[in-house]
Amino acid sequence: MSDVLSLKPAYYEALKRLTLELAGIKLGADHTFLVETRLAALARKEGFEDLGQMIDELFSRGETRLAIHVVTALLQRATAFFEDRAGFELLGDVVLPTLHPLYRGGVVKILSYGCSSGQEIYSAAILVDKMSHVFPDLAFEFIGVDYPSDALERAKAGRFTHFEVQRGLPIKHLISYFERDGEDWVVKPDLRKRIKFIDHNLLADISPLSTYQVVMYRNHLSQLAGPARVRMMRILDRLVSTHGVLMLGSTESLGKMCYGFDETMLAPGCYQKRARQDSPVSEQSG
Amino acid sequence: MARRSKTCLVVDDSKMIRRVACRILREMQFEPVEAGNGQEAMDMCEAHMPDAILLDWNMPVMDGLSFLKALRGQPGGDKPVVLFCTAERDVVKISEALDAGADEYIMKPFDSDILVSKFALVGLDINAPDRQAALR
Repeated sequence: MSDVLSLKPAYYEALKRLTLELAGIKLGADHTFLVETRLAALARKEGFEDLGQMIDELFSRGETRLAIHVVTALLQRATAFFEDRAGFELLGDVVLPTLHPLYRGGVVKILSYGCSSGQEIYSAAILVDKMSHVFPDLAFEFIGVDYPSDALERAKAGRFTHFEVQRGLPIKHLISYFERDGEDWVVKPDLRKRIKFIDHNLLADISPLSTYQVVMYRNHLSQLAGPARVRMMRILDRLVSTHGVLMLGSTESLGKMCYGFDETMLAPGCYQKRARQDSPVSEQSG
Repeated sequence: MARRSKTCLVVDDSKMIRRVACRILREMQFEPVEAGNGQEAMDMCEAHMPDAILLDWNMPVMDGLSFLKALRGQPGGDKPVVLFCTAERDVVKISEALDAGADEYIMKPFDSDILVSKFALVGLDINAPDRQAALR
């Protein structure tokens, strides 16, 4: 434990700047212990003798891969299946029925932006599968995007612990869509192959990505510092297709700046993209 | 007027599991009561039907599955929400429990987040804010 609480204040300040720059999130002064425990674990995994050696390496060589791993380790959060359940009820009861007449015979792409270990996009895929009889003339694609991280690798593998599958996931869904593998549960291939995961810096250029009819960016926006929040709104504006829906957390809102979205919420936290591109923010800027 | 606490019968032959479960249930504003096996639980249900039952599988005298089948055949026995809480993880066993009338299924070991989540799934999360306050 003695070498855990060893981070120099100057390094902590540098890490705060790095996190703000790469992910747009401001670490509080009281996060020191969390920072040190998570980074100590990462240092061991990366083969460093201790946390100090890893941080020295990070700031002396400026290796991008290590910087991203440091930031994702700091920001990793526990997620649960069907988390913020009201949002999934909205997806099934409001969002998809709204999109159905517009995309009949076509494809609805659902994106989880900041998907972490994948529970959100797997939950969306399960919900849609359960409702397939309601939308027989719609095809669906599911995409999860996040910074490269261990969590994202677990999402790709569809592997969850005994504890994770018991948080938010009804038992009937567990036995329908997962199979046991030792102590873990793994998403069955039929569901897993329907979901594509992409490593991507959430605040970076989105040209490798497409546009999507549903973009889930729930409970992240309020964590972003001011400039990063503006940048993220520009990104979300471009990711959501015309008539598509942006889903924030059910207690989140865009406030006065609605960018390309309708000012009136479709439902709490849900905004539909305007047919006309009249966003106050230039698509080319920033 | 004070809202009546919901009662939850914890049926497990392990005293330690009962103690842990009852502590969490109290934090969730339930009024827990305990039974050490299925027969004891059945006697308690005949005297007073609880709102929810947290049910172990493997117990002496009467096991959880036999208890559940007997309960669901009793007058008023369809009312309690029943959550199995057992070390059994086999999909066949889980299906058997659901077929017998279980509403949810918890695999041991569990923690308070799992218990809260599972009770929410069966519509018994009414005191979640109170619980959050209790845990702060």
